[in-house]
Amino acid sequence: MAGKSLSNMAAVAVAGTLVALLMIAGCLGSEGDSVTSPSQQITVTGSTTVLPIAERAKEAFEANDASAAIMVSGGGSSVGIKAVGEGTADIGMASRDLKPEEAASYPGIVRHEIARDAILLVVNPENSVDRLTPGQVRGIYNGTYTNWNQVGGPDQPIVVVGRDSASGTREFFSEFIMDKEDFIRTQEEFNSNGGIQQKVSRTPGAIGYVGLGYTEGVKALALDVDGTAVEPTLQNITDGTYPINRPLFMLTDGEPGGLARQYLEFIMSAEGQEIVASLDYIPVQG
Amino acid sequence: MKKEQAAPVPFPGFGRLRRSGTRIGLISAGAKRQLVDRIVGKLLLFVALFAIVTVFFIIVFLLRDGYQIVLETGAWNFLAGQDWNPAGQNPAYGVLPLIVGTVLVTALAMAIAVPLSIGTAVFTAEIAGPRTRSVVKPAVELLAGIPSVVYGFFGLILLTDWIRIAFDQPSGSSWLAGSILLAVMAIPTITSVAEDAISSVPREFREGSLALGATHWQTIKNVVVPRALPGISAAIILGMGRAIGETMAVLMVTGNAAVIPDPITDVFSPVRTLTGTLGIEMGEVAFGSTHYHALFGVAVVLLFITLAINSASRIVISRIQGPQGTARPTAHRALVAAASRIAHAVSAPFGGVVSPRTSQRCAFFLISLSVVIVLAALGMILFGIVVNGAGAISWEFLTGSPRDLGRAGGIFPAIVGTFYLVGGGLAIALPLGIATAVYLIEYTAETPLTRSIRAAVDLLNGTPSIVFGLFGFAFLVIFLNFGISLIAGQITLGLMILPTIIRTTEESLRSIPGSLREGSYALGATKWQTISRVVLPPALPGILTGAILSIGRAAGETAPIMFTAAIFSSRYLPSSLTEPVMALPYHLFVLTTSIPGASTQSYGTAFVLLLLVLAIYLAAILVRRRYNREKVM
Repeated sequence: MAGKSLSNMAAVAVAGTLVALLMIAGCLGSEGDSVTSPSQQITVTGSTTVLPIAERAKEAFEANDASAAIMVSGGGSSVGIKAVGEGTADIGMASRDLKPEEAASYPGIVRHEIARDAILLVVNPENSVDRLTPGQVRGIYNGTYTNWNQVGGPDQPIVVVGRDSASGTREFFSEFIMDKEDFIRTQEEFNSNGGIQQKVSRTPGAIGYVGLGYTEGVKALALDVDGTAVEPTLQNITDGTYPINRPLFMLTDGEPGGLARQYLEFIMSAEGQEIVASLDYIPVQG
Repeated sequence: MKKEQAAPVPFPGFGRLRRSGTRIGLISAGAKRQLVDRIVGKLLLFVALFAIVTVFFIIVFLLRDGYQIVLETGAWNFLAGQDWNPAGQNPAYGVLPLIVGTVLVTALAMAIAVPLSIGTAVFTAEIAGPRTRSVVKPAVELLAGIPSVVYGFFGLILLTDWIRIAFDQPSGSSWLAGSILLAVMAIPTITSVAEDAISSVPREFREGSLALGATHWQTIKNVVVPRALPGISAAIILGMGRAIGETMAVLMVTGNAAVIPDPITDVFSPVRTLTGTLGIEMGEVAFGSTHYHALFGVAVVLLFITLAINSASRIVISRIQGPQGTARPTAHRALVAAASRIAHAVSAPFGGVVSPRTSQRCAFFLISLSVVIVLAALGMILFGIVVNGAGAISWEFLTGSPRDLGRAGGIFPAIVGTFYLVGGGLAIALPLGIATAVYLIEYTAETPLTRSIRAAVDLLNGTPSIVFGLFGFAFLVIFLNFGISLIAGQITLGLMILPTIIRTTEESLRSIPGSLREGSYALGATKWQTISRVVLPPALPGILTGAILSIGRAAGETAPIMFTAAIFSSRYLPSSLTEPVMALPYHLFVLTTSIPGASTQSYGTAFVLLLLVLAIYLAAILVRRRYNREKVM
């Protein structure tokens, strides 16, 4: 009995230590000890498409100005719009324009177009198809074509891959290619460019659409515009020959001031737009 | 708690015996103890009610944002509509395909997971030698610590590929892939809790059975497992809760096409679950739009499905236990019917005709096979993470801040953020959970109140983590205006792990023989003295198991924090509870899904997350081993 209660006490002690450690970690999150507090702080939140630009620009900006703290988080375009509208973030990021409901709720939001994003059609590298007309793309996505041999490819069922229905990318794709026609119901849906890229790179019969930066392991298709194949090269996209591209926004509640303004100005500067280009987006200045 | 425990007790109850006597000091000590007892009882009741309050708030806040969809489309069109097409020209919000998808994926997952888990549990508790046991049990618990994002990552890369090639399908993203993945994820939960239940069957039962000439297998089949059934069924419910609630892994492998498989048995059809819908669409949906309300409607439907499952299992139980009337009909013992049917099905082929020895050999072979399968799954995933992740580990990776979108630099803020989140969640859930369990088991008989508390806990347990995330977002972030913050994430995680802690604590309290309590009362100890000194200490390993499972789960969860607490990058550690934090699972999720060319860092992050959880587990396993050794002596 004595030995047992002793071991129990040991167990309690160790368990208690474990729990206490974790609790201390949880409760004393307030003792910011490692880094001195920043003098100026803004939060940037929203679209994951715009996030890389915001993040890389933040790194460069903070390297110049050690007193600034910029906190970048994702969550999606709607989160960005909502956050900036409600004042919980200083800058919102959106890969789409405001919806009528949102524009009505937050009339004070100011849009800043900071870059453009191209959307590429990608297939598995094993696929022999390397160009499609917009009509064929539409036929694939609405279910008219279900086998690659109907669009000049091998005899293989088409696996249609797209973005989720809340995605700004899908909305743009739907308007641009589909003329808002419904997608085939068996379309597989992912909520990120990376997910689609992974899927297409591993599925011989798959087709998907992604941003310019997501071409590792997949083959980008040329768009057949009136008989000429337009490759989605940076050149073609920048001069508008490759037609599928859309604006990316940063949003502020009213005209920005202070750090938010400096940050936005930095993104629009030559250095900022260089960052945009280096991340496979299309610069809007210079 | 500690203070009350320290009340001087020279010899409990001595004063009571001589109540009419002259020892005034002892009498007043007795009265004081009883006062403490009453206060503690009231306090515990108050805490136990917290579960009901939480459920109430969750429902209110989901309905608050979700009821408009029914006004807009009509209840029937919403629930029985065959089309989920919010982005169409004529938007349709029919959740039937999502409901069917959820039910199919979960059902098949449980069909795979339950036999494997119970086999593994029986093996660990009854067949394995102490050395094998000390390897298998922690290994299985380790499976629980692997974050769901990692499962999804592996599912996307290995599992769907395997299904596509092995079954010659155009695409491997399917119902089957989702079910296999969910099964692997549910196995550690079911195995751990079932193993605890089997281990707690008193040794005399086994010895009695063996003494009567039964074989080892006959003893397991006819004595040990039936006796442990309530615990095993609790394990199955816990596992099912995990399976239904899983979001991140499922949405990466099921294809997310909102179709009902045609024919309905086509396991290769892509499907979409309710959780998957929330997971992929919540992030980008426009606030206040019809689609936004529809998603909250989906969350409500999810909640009601959990409620329905809980009620159904409760009915099944009361049916089984009704005629005998011996055991209390608790929801905790749900699915006894299913479990016993499985036990019978497993044993059926080995009945009568075959000699007991042959049937034992067959059964043990099958059981060992299930262990091998479980360990192989673990081995494969661990191998992948270690081989690919170890290379990313460097001093800078562990202590630096991320640079270049996480492709370079380190993950220190994410490590610290995860500690803050899990620690805070545990600090909230552990006291609440233990107090609730103590109240339910020790302080009350079955009353309508305890029944509703249990129902609330069951409902919370089945509540998918993504729903906690939605609730945290609607209530903490928006309504209370906490913003995306550490405290919002801690509370959300705390609520999420609360039911696990309550359940496992309850189970381990229940396994303490009544004779111990009676002995303590007979010596005159009050209820609270009995609980704090006689009942709680031996129940500690069980409580600890619950806490471990919770830590593993909380550390690896993405869904509850992605809308409440997590940010992708921060240069500073949070300096107050109102600031957002980085967290390992969220960092991993963003790295794997949104940052091309960061796979080394993804594996590295997964590796660090695993090591972290492993360290926590190791501490707890040592404690348990120490305790068990003493118990045997």
